[in-house]
Amino acid sequence: MNSDRPMKLMDLLAAFAAGGLLTLMVHFNGELGRYGGALFSSWTAHGTGTIAALIFILILRSRWRAEGNIGLAIPWWAYLGGLSGALTVMVTTSAVNSPLALSGTLALGLGGQVVFSLAADHWGLFGMPKRRPSLRDLCALGLVMAGSAVIILFGLG
Amino acid sequence: MTINVLLAIFAGILVGVSRQLNGRLSLSTSPLVASFWNHIVGFTALTVLGLAIGGLVPEGPRNVPWFDYIGGPIGVVFVAAGSWLLLRIGAANTALLIVGGQMVSGVLLDWFLADSFSPAPSAIGVALILGGMALMHKRA
Repeated sequence: MNSDRPMKLMDLLAAFAAGGLLTLMVHFNGELGRYGGALFSSWTAHGTGTIAALIFILILRSRWRAEGNIGLAIPWWAYLGGLSGALTVMVTTSAVNSPLALSGTLALGLGGQVVFSLAADHWGLFGMPKRRPSLRDLCALGLVMAGSAVIILFGLG
Repeated sequence: MTINVLLAIFAGILVGVSRQLNGRLSLSTSPLVASFWNHIVGFTALTVLGLAIGGLVPEGPRNVPWFDYIGGPIGVVFVAAGSWLLLRIGAANTALLIVGGQMVSGVLLDWFLADSFSPAPSAIGVALILGGMALMHKRA
């Protein structure tokens, strides 16, 4: 959380739109899962995603290495984001099929994600910049968390 | 039950770890290239897992409508957006705003698609989220 610089409206809207993309992604991957199961769904999405990423990179001429010193130094573990993502699918599938169901899994996952992100900002985990939340940031965090909890626990069915 | 509670929390932490790692990679490359590595590494890992435990290509998928395969390309944009945002607004803001957008759009999707939908709690939830976002944007 950056208290040095006001958040630009564009950042706010982009992040909100990314959440909308996530809803669509989960929906379509869920449909795939209905036909072939969670593993098939995630495997296929990663496969089509790999091809789509290559096409996007070619079209947009995205650079494979950033300029300057930072472009040369890539720690090996920075390539493991996909491993963490693939593992998420397996772990989530297991929890959803337990008495927690979808709503419980979502609510607990949300908590885990937010607490981790605060820790990540606080200590600058995995080589990212450190950030300190302001009181106002924490109030905003509380409102979004409360709203999400209400939707997950009482709004879904 | 306890193990499943821990698994659900762990899943949320994994989402954050993934975003942090992709953010670090995009620092040395670009968000789109980091998203490419995310997908090819995940694909390789799931291929190995599928070959080990079986069930990678079941019978059902022959009947899948073509548009259900769009989730992968959408995911590429989503992962790239996450890295881009992380560098600009930090992990907590990124996580919260994405969750907010996911909740509000999820309510809209349910409104149109689901058989059972509770308007009142959903409306209260959406109002709280939008209030939080307004607070994030407006600064003294």
